[in-house]
Amino acid sequence: MRKTRTMKSGRSLKKLVLFHALILCLFCFVGRATAQIYGSDFHRVTVTVSTLTAVQVSSGSISLSITGAGAVAGQDQMTVVDQTTNLLWGTNRSTRKITVRTNLAAPQFTLKVLAFNPTVGTAMPEVTVSTTATDFLRDIGRSSGTCALRYTGIALASQGIGNDSHTISFTATAQ
Amino acid sequence: MKTMNPVERKRCRQQRMQILQCTVLTVLMFLASQATAQPIDVRGGNPTLNITAGVAGGQPTPRVNTATSIRYWRQAAISKITVRTTCPGQSFTLTVQATGVTRGVAAPQVTLVDGMLDVDFITNIPSAGTWTSTTPTLRYTASATFAQGNSAEEGNDVHTVTYTIQVQ
Repeated sequence: MRKTRTMKSGRSLKKLVLFHALILCLFCFVGRATAQIYGSDFHRVTVTVSTLTAVQVSSGSISLSITGAGAVAGQDQMTVVDQTTNLLWGTNRSTRKITVRTNLAAPQFTLKVLAFNPTVGTAMPEVTVSTTATDFLRDIGRSSGTCALRYTGIALASQGIGNDSHTISFTATAQ
Repeated sequence: MKTMNPVERKRCRQQRMQILQCTVLTVLMFLASQATAQPIDVRGGNPTLNITAGVAGGQPTPRVNTATSIRYWRQAAISKITVRTTCPGQSFTLTVQATGVTRGVAAPQVTLVDGMLDVDFITNIPSAGTWTSTTPTLRYTASATFAQGNSAEEGNDVHTVTYTIQVQ
């Protein structure tokens, strides 16, 4: 009876040792199976983009001169056109438009401007510049683009001679 | 209840001790196998790249960050490091390149895209030599187009970038 119990205990011990050996082998096997990967680490990288609006004209100043060279006898109105400059913009905000205005409250002559051939957006009809911001180019939201600036200076013979000095501002704003 | 004689009791105690020793040994061996040094370590915290300027007629100005680095240790076999990211709802572009790599060969700039598979980042990391570890710089570049919008409307991109060193 005692011998039987001792034998049972011995067998249990062997089973337990075998079990532990198996566990160890399993760990080793798993270790080998994942040995292709030694380890990994991570961190978080955040990218933020501010609301950006950039508007720029390609040249600082232009001059339109009505010299009378092209004047037609009997016709009061004389015009001159300049299309040597461009407007460039970039905005990452939705529903944007560009407006135009001048700082000259009471010009002697008429100055008009047109967004010619814009790469993005819809050009408004030719705008007579005034101190009130007027829509110039619409539907440019989230874009980068350019257009030519077509200025037209208009003088009437009856207006005489003189100079108008405008500071023209283009502004990207909510549509 | 039947009582055991002293000899049986002693044998039982011995067996219990053996079982205990065996268990402790198993646990210790397992722990020892797990307690090896971290083979790769991303250092410098969690960087943020802010794009704050743009060029009219062009695009927003990319932002570069080199404030973090990656340290890795020599392994028993020739190894490589791969990179991947998760960034749900990603809106903008993020790339990374290892610079100052002296052990192994840095891959060209990797573009990090949400859900991407592991892409080679540093390859041919030698297993021989006297070196133990090296710490090249992580050069992140964030870029965006005007058309991609801004964080106020789209939210920030938060990448969880994972580097893995493995047998090549």
